[in-house]
This record gives sequence, structure tokens and C-alpha cells, in this order.
Amino acid sequence: MLVGAFACAHTPQLLARPATEDRELVLRVHAAFARVKRRLEALRPDAIAIVAGDHVEAFFLNAVPALAVYVGTECAGTFGRYRYRFPIYEPLARSIVEQGIERGFDLFYSQDAPLDYAFYVPLHFTMPEPAVPIVPLHVNVYLPPQPTPRRCYDWGQALGEILRARPERVALMCSGGMSHFPGTDRYASPEFDYDRRVLETLKAGGGREIAAITGEELDKMGNIELRTWATLLGAVGDVRADVYCYEPSWHHGNAVVEWPL
Amino acid sequence: MNDQPHYRFPPASAYKLNRCLFALKSDDAFRARFLKDAGAAMRELEVDAEDTDAILRGDRDALLARGAHPYLVFMADLRLRMEREPVSFEFF
Repeated sequence: MLVGAFACAHTPQLLARPATEDRELVLRVHAAFARVKRRLEALRPDAIAIVAGDHVEAFFLNAVPALAVYVGTECAGTFGRYRYRFPIYEPLARSIVEQGIERGFDLFYSQDAPLDYAFYVPLHFTMPEPAVPIVPLHVNVYLPPQPTPRRCYDWGQALGEILRARPERVALMCSGGMSHFPGTDRYASPEFDYDRRVLETLKAGGGREIAAITGEELDKMGNIELRTWATLLGAVGDVRADVYCYEPSWHHGNAVVEWPL
Repeated sequence: MNDQPHYRFPPASAYKLNRCLFALKSDDAFRARFLKDAGAAMRELEVDAEDTDAILRGDRDALLARGAHPYLVFMADLRLRMEREPVSFEFF
């Protein structure tokens, strides 16, 4: 069963705030994360399937998966002083890989890959109590050529069908976005108006329009990570988004969204 | 105006450069070796003389021109700076 769907920013400054990050803004995003956490507690998922883009941490240029599923007993990683480990909901992870392959998606899987901070930051704030196991799902966002938004959406459609047919209650989360340009000369000038237009489209239930965006446009708009959103949107279809917050910092458009199912 | 994408397919010729930046970003032990003896660390990863020079100068433009991935340049630099000048954070 697919019982919930959420998008969460994973901006590292939300977790470890330097003096250059506006404290009130960070706390407002935390408040939105707290809403997600309460919502997850009300939804009582048995597992959280979380779609995120590895930041060249688990996967370097020696081996670049387009779409990957973590299928070990657990997953772990580090981010500065944070060390984290999560149990993986194995029957669900295995089912996603097996049925994904059966449906024509040439998925990469690993029983032992490090878990990037892009998975950790949202879970740090939103993991319900008591905690539930997860299934990490990676989408290549940083190492061109990345899978197209169309492909991500189509994978999301298959994923949605797989999750809806499962006996467990599954919450789907996508991590990432919105506009930011790390390492480029656009770092201090993200495309906030573009983000706002995307959110308006999503509030109207226009998820499938995201699938039609080109990879070139995502790159231009600082939204390479929106591929994780495209994946979730394929799973939820035309459901209207409820935007908990959109908080543009000097370098990053931080969004927290639910698609009530 | 530059119409090039912000993130591009890294040329294979820049593999050892990118691998070094990846190690500076993600391998605490390698970063520590680099901070002790940068030249030895560069030789360890077979980084060529010009790439070594660009890394040691912290010359972002040269690194990008030589095929370095912008995110790896950014994060390697950030991790090195954090070792050299402790930044204070509020942790949540």
C-alpha cells in the first residue's frame, strides 16, 4: 500500500548551520519537517521508500548507476560528525528490484553501498517515532548523462504500482531540490521564480508536466535534483501537492511538500 | 553568455584529477595525508604535474578547464578549508 508521499529538501546547512545561514529560515524549514514527521506518525507506515540523488559519495566515475536500489540488511553513512545507520526493509527492497527488472527497468542494486547525506538529512528530521526501516532508492543527478526526467517519471510509475500492490504500508519520500547551483558561478543566485512556478504546477496536480522538462532545462534552472521529484510524481500521478513551505535562502530554494493520497 | 551546462560529462582524461578531488571530499584518511604531505598524496593517486599544480593553487578555473567536476572542486575545497580553519556550526 502506498499511504503517503512527501518531498523534502536536504540542504546540509539545515543540519549543520553555519553563521552565514539565516537561523529563522532554517527553523521555519525545521517546522515543516516536524509537520512531515507528525504526518508520518499518523500514517503509520511500515517502511519509508526514499528517493535521493547520491552526491558522488557512494558512486564515483568508476561505476555510475542511473537508478539504484539498496537491498542489504542495513545502510550506513557519515556526514561530518553525523554517523547514521538504518535497517532496510528487505522484502520490500527485494520486491522493488525484482519487479522493477520484470517491468523493464535495468536497475542497479547493491547490498552494501554507503548512504549519502541526501538520504540522511530528511530522515534526521522526519523519521517517525517509533522509527521504521527504509528502502533507499538512488537516482543519478550529478554525473551526466543522468536519466531523463521522462525516464525518472516512468520509473516512478512502475514504482508506484509495485508499492501499491505490496501488503506493507509504504510512505514514499523524495529528497532534493529545489533550485541550487553548488560549485558553479550561480551559487548565489538560484532560480527562485522558476521554483515557485513549478510548485504552482504541482499544487494544481500537474505532476506529469515535470516529466516533460528536459535535462537541459533542469540543469539551467539549478534543478538537476528534481529528477527525484519526477520519480515520486510518476508514482503519485495527478494528486495535488500541499506545499508546507518554500524558503529561499541565499543559495538554495528549500521546499517541503506533501501529496496527500 | 555561456550556454554550456553547469554539470557536464567529465572527460576521461580528467579521471585521476576527479578521483583525487573525490578522495579529498570523502576520504578522511586521504585528506589527512594530503594535509601532512600534499606532494606525496598527489603521487599516491598518480595526479599529473599540471593537475597537482592547479589543486595546490586552489585554482578553481584551471581545475574546471581541465575537466574537474564542479561539485567535486567545491566540496574538496570546502572539506580542506574546514580542516584548516574550524568553522563554527549550530548542529541540529
